[in-house]
Parts: sequence; C-alpha cells; structure tokens
Amino acid sequence: MDVKPDRVIDARGSYCPGPLMELIKAYKQAKVGEIISVYSTDAGTKKDAPAWISKSGQELVGVFDRNGYYEIVMKKVK
Amino acid sequence: MASKVLIVGDGDAGTIMANKLRFHTDIKDVEITVVGNSKEHYFKPDGVHISFSMIDYKRSVKPTEFLFNYGVNYVRDEVTRIDVADKTVSTKSGRNLDYDYLIIATGDRFTPEDIPGYETDAKHFYDLPHALELQKEIKSFKGGKIVIGQASIPIMCPPAPYEFTFLLEEYLNFHGLKDKTEIHYIYPLNRVFTIPNVSDFVAKRMEERGIITHTLFNVESVDPKNKKIQSLEGESINYDLLVLIPPHRGQKVITDSGLADDSGYIDVDKYKLNYKDYDNVFAIGDATNLPVSKAGATAHFQSMYLSNRIASETSGNIYNELYEGDVACTTVTGYEKGVTLYFNYNKPPKAKFDSKLDYFLKWQSADTFFSSMVRGVA
Repeated sequence: MDVKPDRVIDARGSYCPGPLMELIKAYKQAKVGEIISVYSTDAGTKKDAPAWISKSGQELVGVFDRNGYYEIVMKKVK
Repeated sequence: MASKVLIVGDGDAGTIMANKLRFHTDIKDVEITVVGNSKEHYFKPDGVHISFSMIDYKRSVKPTEFLFNYGVNYVRDEVTRIDVADKTVSTKSGRNLDYDYLIIATGDRFTPEDIPGYETDAKHFYDLPHALELQKEIKSFKGGKIVIGQASIPIMCPPAPYEFTFLLEEYLNFHGLKDKTEIHYIYPLNRVFTIPNVSDFVAKRMEERGIITHTLFNVESVDPKNKKIQSLEGESINYDLLVLIPPHRGQKVITDSGLADDSGYIDVDKYKLNYKDYDNVFAIGDATNLPVSKAGATAHFQSMYLSNRIASETSGNIYNELYEGDVACTTVTGYEKGVTLYFNYNKPPKAKFDSKLDYFLKWQSADTFFSSMVRGVA
C-alpha cells in the first residue's frame, strides 16, 4: 500500500467490537478526505469494519494481512 | 499492623468486593473501607420489568449502608481525586484516605449530552426514575411505531435492549396492540448483538415475532420536532415512542485523576485486574475497559478472583490464579422465557434454547442478589 494514512488507530489486543468503535470514533473526528487506518488482531474486524465503511458510504481503500494482525484502511469521502 | 484495603465505589462491584473480602479475611489482619455516596442501592436488571409494571420497584431498592457486612467500614462521601503515585484518595468533604491496596469500582455514567436532541424525547429504563417514566409511557401507549436500541457501545448489561424488545412484543400482544404497532430494533454493529452466536439466536426470535431490525445504526441525533432518529451511516427512522439507551462513559473522577482512556475507562491487566505497573491498585466492574460485559455478573466473578487474591497475599501466600473473563447471566427472551449465558475470554456463550426455569431465575434475581450475592455469600 502506498497511501499514507492521516490517522492510525492501533486497536491490536482489543476485542470485537472495540476496533470498529475506535474506527467510528476516529471517523467522527476526521475531516473529509482524510485516510484512516485501523490495526486489529480480532478476526471479526476484517468483516465488520468494511461492512460499516460500505454502509456509511465511505471508501474502503483496502484490507491487508500484516504480520499477525489486519490493517483496514478507509477514506472519509463525506 | 492490619493491611488497609480501600474500595472506591459503593455499587455492585464495590459492595460485593468488600463483603467477599470480609468473609475471606480476619478483621485483625485486614481493614476494609468502602467510600461512596449512594443513599440507595438499585438492582438495575429490574428496570426492564419495572417498565412493564411487572414488579413493584420497591423490591429493587435497598438502603446502601445496610448492605455491608459486619467489619466493613463505610464512608459516605464523594471521591474527588485518586492519586496512585501518592497512595491517597481525596474526598469532597476534605478527607484524605490512604491505603495499602486500592480497588477502584466507580462504575460508569450516562452521557445523553453526546446525542443532540436525546434529552428532549428519548426514554430508557437504565435507572429508576427513567424506568418509572417509561412505565407511564407504556401504560398510555395506544399503538404506533416504537424504536428501541442503544445509541452506542459499550453499555451496561448488553442484553437489556433485546430483553425489553421481547417483553414489549408480548405486552402488545396481551393488550391487543400488536396489530396497531411496528417495533423497530436498532443496533450499532452489523448484527443484533455483539457476540455472533447470541446474535443469531436473538435475530431468529426477532424475525419470528415480526420485529424489524436495523443494523449498523450508530445514533447521531434525535429530532424531537419531527420525531425522527438519524444514524451516522445516513439512515433515519420515524418514531412515536423512542426507547434509546444513552451513551456511556467512565466516571469523571477517573479522567480527572489521569487514570482513564479517552472514553473514561481504566485500562487494567485482563488476567490480574491491576492498573498498569501498580501491584496494589486494581479496578473492577464497569469502570474498566476490559473486553467483557459491563454487568453486575461480571463484577461478581471479578470480586471472587480479587478477594481470594488479596486475602492470600495479605496472609503472606503467593496467589497464582488468574481472572479469565468469566461472566454468567440470565436474560429474558419473552414472557416466562429466559436463557442463561456463561462465557469467558476463551469460551463464547452458547444460546440454544430458552426455558421457563431460566425466566424464573431472572425473576428471582433481585431477591437472590440482595440476600446472598451482594453480601458476598454466593
């Protein structure tokens, strides 16, 4: 991934729905155009976060398997 | 000299902890003090039943000071500052309390101000005044559209919104109002409950009973003028009656004392319950940000672990057990139907069927709570 996030949330070690709630909290604070990245060790986040990003009409930049955790990247578009 | 154990908070967690520790220790060896400012101890799980006039609220309330066992000192005062570096707890009346062991059991609080419009129109049953207010609303309800849910996560007693929904459906049926009413259930995640296994069970029951569900609905605002609730995700629903559990945060004193995360909760070791590197400072109950339910049942298991540990350590022994996230709770799934869930960090709950026995366990829980659990017996 060559996109540099404006905000990184390290929610590793936190269980569902912690990472998603952290992502929503960051979304509320972010400006339109900002890229937010969330790190999670909870497998459920891989499904829950993209579902929320899609429902809220934001852009899913990608879901990446990192070394022992997932990184979900979104762009706030509205 | 006796070890001084100071417990901050006189709710479920603080009271159970004090009473259990009293059972496990000798007064000569351990001095136990609880500081808190509640006049009454309210058994919150009864709020659902109170809303439907199914029980008399008086059975759900006891005077706080009479719930402590012999040998527990109770100081009624408001804690204004906790200084773990200086080992001091300060109070509004000017007391400075010191300790050898500190247990923070301050619970959490409602923050309706986080949702614009909430306080004008939304109802809930999470404290006694609001449960009684909702009781009046339900008694005078003649049909329409009811929206139920929680504004955000986390909340105390996570199953309570679905318990309320199931009882409401039974209530409307009984009073011949079901055909005149639409029940809408909203939830912040992409399912109807946090734990997938339980969510499947609850979703099936909701579908069978004609309850309309809206998932990924994080409440952004309430519009009392147009009777409309708006989600962060861009969805809106009209209502005639809105039953919405307000957002929660940790107590202000925790934030003011520099012990909180950005939601006001205390980050503790998930297996040992101690705060950061302090081996004599612990937090239990709703005050923590542990990945377990915020519920009295959680505080009960945490108190079992922590009272054993402190009793062991103060008598010079080494305690190697760990708290493994145990929670057991019984929830209502309808009139004379309930389900008991048991789970911990490693074992998710299994909800397979609901039974009359489980319902009566729940029905009796205030009596069980006040006579044995809060006393540290069970």
